[in-house]
Amino acid sequence: MRDFQNGVTRRRWLKTLGAAGAALAAGQILDDSEAAGQESSAPQSAPEFTGPGANPYWTSVGQFATYPQKAPLILLTDRPVQLETPRHYFLSTVTPNDAFFVRWHLQTIPNAVDLKEWRLHVEGNIERPLALSFSELASRFKSVSIAAVNQCSGNSRSRLQPRVAGGQWGNGAMGNAAWTGVKLRDILDAAGVKSGSVQVQFEGLDRGLGPKGYGSNRFMKSLDLTNTVIDECVVAYAMNDEPLPMLNGFPARLIVPGYFATYWLKSLSFIRVLDAPDDNFWMKGAYRIPDTPRGNTTPDEMKSGKVPTVPIARMPVRSFLISPDGSTKIPAGFPVRLRGIAFSGYGGIKKVEVSLDNGVNWSEAQFGPDAGAYSFRTWWLNWTPRTAGRYQIAVRATDARGNGQPDEGVWNPGGYLWNKIEHQEIVVGEST
Amino acid sequence: MQSTRLRKRKWYLLALLAASALAARGLYADFRAGYYTPGGPGTIQQALPTIASTDASYDAGQYPIYYPELAAGDGKDEVENNCELCHSPRYITMQPVMSAQAWADEVNKMRKTFGASIPDDTAEKIIRYLGTHYTPETRKR
Repeated sequence: MRDFQNGVTRRRWLKTLGAAGAALAAGQILDDSEAAGQESSAPQSAPEFTGPGANPYWTSVGQFATYPQKAPLILLTDRPVQLETPRHYFLSTVTPNDAFFVRWHLQTIPNAVDLKEWRLHVEGNIERPLALSFSELASRFKSVSIAAVNQCSGNSRSRLQPRVAGGQWGNGAMGNAAWTGVKLRDILDAAGVKSGSVQVQFEGLDRGLGPKGYGSNRFMKSLDLTNTVIDECVVAYAMNDEPLPMLNGFPARLIVPGYFATYWLKSLSFIRVLDAPDDNFWMKGAYRIPDTPRGNTTPDEMKSGKVPTVPIARMPVRSFLISPDGSTKIPAGFPVRLRGIAFSGYGGIKKVEVSLDNGVNWSEAQFGPDAGAYSFRTWWLNWTPRTAGRYQIAVRATDARGNGQPDEGVWNPGGYLWNKIEHQEIVVGEST
Repeated sequence: MQSTRLRKRKWYLLALLAASALAARGLYADFRAGYYTPGGPGTIQQALPTIASTDASYDAGQYPIYYPELAAGDGKDEVENNCELCHSPRYITMQPVMSAQAWADEVNKMRKTFGASIPDDTAEKIIRYLGTHYTPETRKR
């Protein structure tokens, strides 16, 4: 004990001498910001843009911004609003409502909804048109809950090479929530779909200033009535047991489990049964992927005009390391728990594997609780790095269908379907 | 007794040596403390909690605009008077740096695909502005 105290005293004394020496060497009295600060690392701001190379950061580089009902999120655009979720929120299965990413297409988006006036209209090729109030929606039908991942079609668009125009998302245009509401099928049955119907179209309260008939005027999406996903769709009025934030689609939004978020209409107000395929811009002109393996193509092939396209649909399998995120140096011998998430639009996750040597050897990770086939699945792997070095961690998942993740990125003009194996450098320092 | 004093003197010598070595590096051997810096990436203010009414209106309030600084130059007025009708200029500053041709394609997409009614000569000015300030070679911020 005595020795220890002496040691401390001695060290303190050494330090005082050292500081004084440093000040002398610098030819000045200790100045708060400069003296002995050769290795000083004042925090730097992220750059204002990236490119023409791939965005090297986990999320996009925008500033944090505050919005109503939201925690500070990463700002992509302010009119219409597009906000990205920071990485650390993905440590848990459920993404909090106030951190959930935001993406609107048109500038006139709802600030307020009067539930005295608001109705969910069911119209088109049906026997009985409906206009459901919020309380009717919640009371007239059986309520169901499902955990499902909502991921923007363009999530990770900033990774593509060459870069493509559009929302320059990093990996944070995704989220998982427990959605509670009513089965779309129950609503359609109540309205009575007439024979000869082919699609069901969805429209929210967002409006654009573009001319009528253009995509800049209305945002609408449709699903084939023969698509089995129709039976899994939910018109959700609750998100993680709370009302939906206005920016995430209050009072109700469509949940299309396994499908990209483009179909998950926010502030859903019109369900329209069609007797002919929807040819509006958002079906015929946008959110289409090359009808090729992995939706992959090249700029030259696109220019040839011979690449057939189909509407985007299910999300390919993805997995992410969330912690550690590379921002903290880890002492050798420190027991690290690698933690992350995985999901697939093709059903549950069968396996998550982690490589500590840049993809040479792989170890199988342990799973957290199972919240359902369309939910985030958390995973973890214990790892005690014994020696200092720069470790290249890689993560890959295999889904219930046996789909894995590729080593190569994808390219298509929309910047969709990115699901390349993620890599993260972890720096381990010496500890003695 | 004497050996203890000698040992002490040895310690002082060692300490002085160590101190000068440290001084040369300008660093502490075991830890560094007490350095602060002004600025950095900055702060954002908390929003004041709002009080809702008990009627059927569910109001999130207005959405804030965070207006970016566009590069000064010919064509900036045309961007402000046309592009910004439908969207914020952050749709420009958010993009990766792109070739002048890619910017021309974007402006033409806004006109043809999205129906933006921008006259030919104005569109040319906008294309020239974007191709002048937002390419890999020219973008400053």
